Amino acid sequence: MPSPVSTISQHQSALARYCRTGSYEPIPGVRHRHVIRYRELVYNVVEDILQSAYPLTYELLSSAEWNDLVDRFLSEHSCRSPQVWRMPKELYDFVKKEGTPLLSQYPFLLELLYFEWLEVELFMMEDKKASHTSKGDAASDALVLNPEHILQHFHYPLHRKTAAQISDEDKGDYFLVMFRHPGSGSVQFMDLSPALVYLVEQLAIAPVRVTELAKEVCDALNVPFQDDTLSDILTFINRCLDNKLILGFKA
Amino acid sequence: MVGIGFRKDFADQFLNSTTLHPDFIEVSPENWIGVGGYWKKMLYKALDKYPLFTHGLSLSLGSPDELDLPFLKKTKQFLKDTGARLFSEHLSYAKCDNAHLYDLLPMPFTEEAIRHVSQRIRQVQDVLGDRIAIEIVSYYTPVAPEMDEIEFVNGVLELADCRLLLDVNNVYVNSFNHHYDAKAFIDALPLDRIRYIHMAGHEQVEEDLILDTHGQPIANPVYDLFGHVMSKLNDEVPVLLERDFNIPELSELQQELDRLASIKAIKRNTYAIAG
Ligand SMILES: [Fe+2]
Repeated sequence: MPSPVSTISQHQSALARYCRTGSYEPIPGVRHRHVIRYRELVYNVVEDILQSAYPLTYELLSSAEWNDLVDRFLSEHSCRSPQVWRMPKELYDFVKKEGTPLLSQYPFLLELLYFEWLEVELFMMEDKKASHTSKGDAASDALVLNPEHILQHFHYPLHRKTAAQISDEDKGDYFLVMFRHPGSGSVQFMDLSPALVYLVEQLAIAPVRVTELAKEVCDALNVPFQDDTLSDILTFINRCLDNKLILGFKA
Repeated sequence: MVGIGFRKDFADQFLNSTTLHPDFIEVSPENWIGVGGYWKKMLYKALDKYPLFTHGLSLSLGSPDELDLPFLKKTKQFLKDTGARLFSEHLSYAKCDNAHLYDLLPMPFTEEAIRHVSQRIRQVQDVLGDRIAIEIVSYYTPVAPEMDEIEFVNGVLELADCRLLLDVNNVYVNSFNHHYDAKAFIDALPLDRIRYIHMAGHEQVEEDLILDTHGQPIANPVYDLFGHVMSKLNDEVPVLLERDFNIPELSELQQELDRLASIKAIKRNTYAIAG
């Protein structure tokens, strides 16, 4: 007589649970000596993809800390993404939601995970287009921002210091724009002052001329508009045109 | 046609030289759906040159969980966008209790499992509007079996009315690990359902266990088995070389493709003479 579906799914479930936890409860017909391979395969795939998504975290943690984290993640968290390259985001979500004693040892760990994930996400994410022309004048034409960017406020200098060297003394405000270079596809970073964050936010809404941009920034920050404000901003804009955070000019 | 699994590890070299020149490439939609930037450019560069076959990893056809319909629809869109010629998946499960495992786990060989997986294959075929090819996976232990593997496989093919992706290396690995005659197994398959063939390397890790690693060149006994398969098939079935680890020089991969093509050519010539 065929087994009821529940029995079959119980066996399937038992095998899957074993692969995730490594603790084996006998399943009918299963050879224990060889089923171990499945646990190894599952663990290795997950560990490997996490290691390549989070190289800085991997370097920071001792191997015992790293292995514990991976173990806990695999056994306690149900990975939802059918796409393995997106799965590492779930490690960040897991640590954020469930916590880990590592967070008191490394207060910047959650931010580090997020920073590393954003880099993966930016590198991989779908293309976003913004119509623009490369011919124009930075001083007079409306500027088109690269839509493939993320603005982020961090409390630790994750992009400037080796993680192991970050301490409580580094705590502060670090504004960063991360963006994908349209030619090479590589992910690049730029430190921003709060005024430049505001400027990039304005450009993200719609293409704007630099003069209007300068006025908006001064208004928002409640500082008088001066000639050197404009030239400072122009210097920044030219840098962004070079590194492609600004793609070009409104067509 | 002989093809190669398009892998990121050798994509750059592959696209910028003529050393490796397959007739088609294969990718897993999971690795490319929703991807832009550098890798999208590389994929489309490859698609400009080569026809595409696809091989899904995470639909988890044998899973007790619900089928992931939103993901299936994304897959359908990907097949359309890339002009893929074929979609294949595995006779296994990779997700259970709502958790993906990113590996292919063996099905229990039971009547109930045949009904379950067949119904899901049909569901996928309905959504995609085409028949799919199902791959017999390698496995290292049976799970609560009530019948032989061949009965299970044939039961599914019949009930799902789907095509077969015959991974010759998997049959070899399984015949070794589970002590049966690989040729007899192949002879018992409905050969008219074979739409696609996979070839790959393996590694013997224990006295009584071979792992399907895709990390070595194709082994000689697997070439022999491939010759046996080709002697049975009338049509020009596409053959794919899968290599995921230990990637060698591309010239070595090309040599493997050449050897596969020459085995197929013997077959063609034999028929030409016979005809
Ligand atoms: Fe295969």
